[in-house]
Amino acid sequence: MSESLPSDPGFLAITGAEKRFGASAVLGGVDLAVARGEFVSLLGPSGCGKTTLLRIVAGLVSPDRGRVALDGRDITRTPPHRRDIGVVFQNYALFPHLTVAENVAFGLKAKGHPRAGIGGTVSRFLDLVQMAPFADRRAQALSGGQQQRVAVARALAVRPKLLLLDEPFSALDRKLREAMQIDLKRLLRELGITALFVTHDQDEALTMSDRIAVMNHGAIEQLADPVTLYRRPASAFALGFVGLSTRIPGLVREAGDGMLRVETPLGTVRAPGRFLPGSPVLLGVRPERIRVGGDGPNTIEAALVEVAFQGARAHLFFAGPDGNRTVLAEAPEIPAGAVPGARLRLSWAIEDTLVFPAEPALREAA
Amino acid sequence: MSVPATVSAAPVPARWPRLRLDPVALLALPAFAYLAAAYGWPLLVLLGHSLSGPDGISLAPFAQFLSDPFSWRVIGNTLRSALLVTLVCLLAGYPAAIALARARGAVQALLLLSVILPLSVGVVVKAYAWQIVLRRDGVVSQALVGLGIWDAPQRLLFTEAGLVIGAANVFLPFMILPIYAVIRLIDPRLSEAAATLGASPVRRFLTVTLPLTLPGIVSGIAFVFSLAVSMYVVPSLVIGDRYQTLATLTGRAFLFMRDERLGSATAVILLALAVAVVVGSTALARRLGGGGRS
Repeated sequence: MSESLPSDPGFLAITGAEKRFGASAVLGGVDLAVARGEFVSLLGPSGCGKTTLLRIVAGLVSPDRGRVALDGRDITRTPPHRRDIGVVFQNYALFPHLTVAENVAFGLKAKGHPRAGIGGTVSRFLDLVQMAPFADRRAQALSGGQQQRVAVARALAVRPKLLLLDEPFSALDRKLREAMQIDLKRLLRELGITALFVTHDQDEALTMSDRIAVMNHGAIEQLADPVTLYRRPASAFALGFVGLSTRIPGLVREAGDGMLRVETPLGTVRAPGRFLPGSPVLLGVRPERIRVGGDGPNTIEAALVEVAFQGARAHLFFAGPDGNRTVLAEAPEIPAGAVPGARLRLSWAIEDTLVFPAEPALREAA
Repeated sequence: MSVPATVSAAPVPARWPRLRLDPVALLALPAFAYLAAAYGWPLLVLLGHSLSGPDGISLAPFAQFLSDPFSWRVIGNTLRSALLVTLVCLLAGYPAAIALARARGAVQALLLLSVILPLSVGVVVKAYAWQIVLRRDGVVSQALVGLGIWDAPQRLLFTEAGLVIGAANVFLPFMILPIYAVIRLIDPRLSEAAATLGASPVRRFLTVTLPLTLPGIVSGIAFVFSLAVSMYVVPSLVIGDRYQTLATLTGRAFLFMRDERLGSATAVILLALAVAVVVGSTALARRLGGGGRS
């Protein structure tokens, strides 16, 4: 949680946010600081508390403990309509009784903008999201992608200090989603909008974010930029949730000089790290770090189970230490002799081996 | 294989517009047949009676009735009491419908039960109960004196206020349920979205909740008004003979005065009023509800 602190850490500052619903703790003391103009994602599985955290920032849920400050002002007890925070909801929540233009004008009217200027602002923001031709349509006559654009225009038209996005792409099909992600990111950068983005989709988070907060069980497990998060996940959970990886349980045999020898069901593996001999650990290797064929500092032999050709690359699945746990390698081409059942040699560098303390819960989940 | 597509595929174009019956419409047939026999036919007989003079068809019964100032007071009583009952039901029912829609689990079940269960108590029983409650020494009077609102006990029984209170009790569920049904379909995120756009709670209610619940309000009004405009038992028991409405007058004409022509005429006028309100309000609902809900 200490990586790359931004220069202006306090534009949005959440400190010690806690929330329980009935008997279950949804958030357990979360701290998060977002800099002005930054795009931060809250990434985690459903039920990890990310949406609750977003709703606390919006003022739609009040935290049991902790504070929220925006632009130097404590807004913990400020009602949502006085917060200057825009929200794009998962289902867009467009007003069905209003037209597209009236939806975008809603916030401007509510905030008492002079009537004369509202029409111009509405068409400018509809232009920005390429929805100007639909200004007079009813909101519910639009497709999902169009509704999403209108929801973004509606939230941005009032010039909020902060934009919150609650899984705004989850209802769109994949191709449209990817196009909209790029459009939205460009738009937010052009307008200099600070954004907090909730998603369970790691690709989305990696594509769009300046920094990603990986959340699990109501806490932030790691807050880092996408590259660091992918290359140096701080926990076994972060490793498993972001990107693909081979995960092998093992037992530390020898340790010294920051170097480990770990005994695994696939053989002895060398890895950088500091653990006591005898510690149970979980080893992780990213698929693109594994070389099929050839020798390396870490070499194992495994039976190929399946080849998944994906155009630009191929994924090769190998039988893992037990039946269900598989080893995954990525190759630019399908290697010669890669037929299911073939035993192939796999190798990778010592520094590409990630080591985490073994978590019993995670072992079951993996 | 060599058959021209135009011959095999295109149906013969109809020369004249044919009546197309949607098979789904057949599902309404039993109810339609029943209503035609049990309601439609008697209605025609009634209409016939109201238009029958000594020598053939005549508007005489209507003319005779409408030329009497007493009749206009009766029509006035009918409309005023029905409007007041509808208004009271709306003001009490709308917040109740919101509470009902927002409640969860057991609380909601309990609230729903407390709305629906009273429907199983007969209207005669309710009206008798109100007779007791609204007496000079009844609970309401005692409570108002006890709270210092009234100086001395007063009788609400046999007053228009007592009638409205009693009737609103009987018809309240018919206001709450349609509004509740509409509110339940409204996405709570809409109000949240309005809040994040800077709308205060009052503004959210006026610009989002109220317009979206209008169709429910209109159907609730249609229900309660058409029930209240034609109520017979409640006025008979709670306000008595000195206060006549079209419904009670129709009853008197048939039961006591044996004047079928008068009774038919008042019944037809009453029906026309009720139909006008129901048709008008559904047309309004269709226009206002054009936006629908997500």
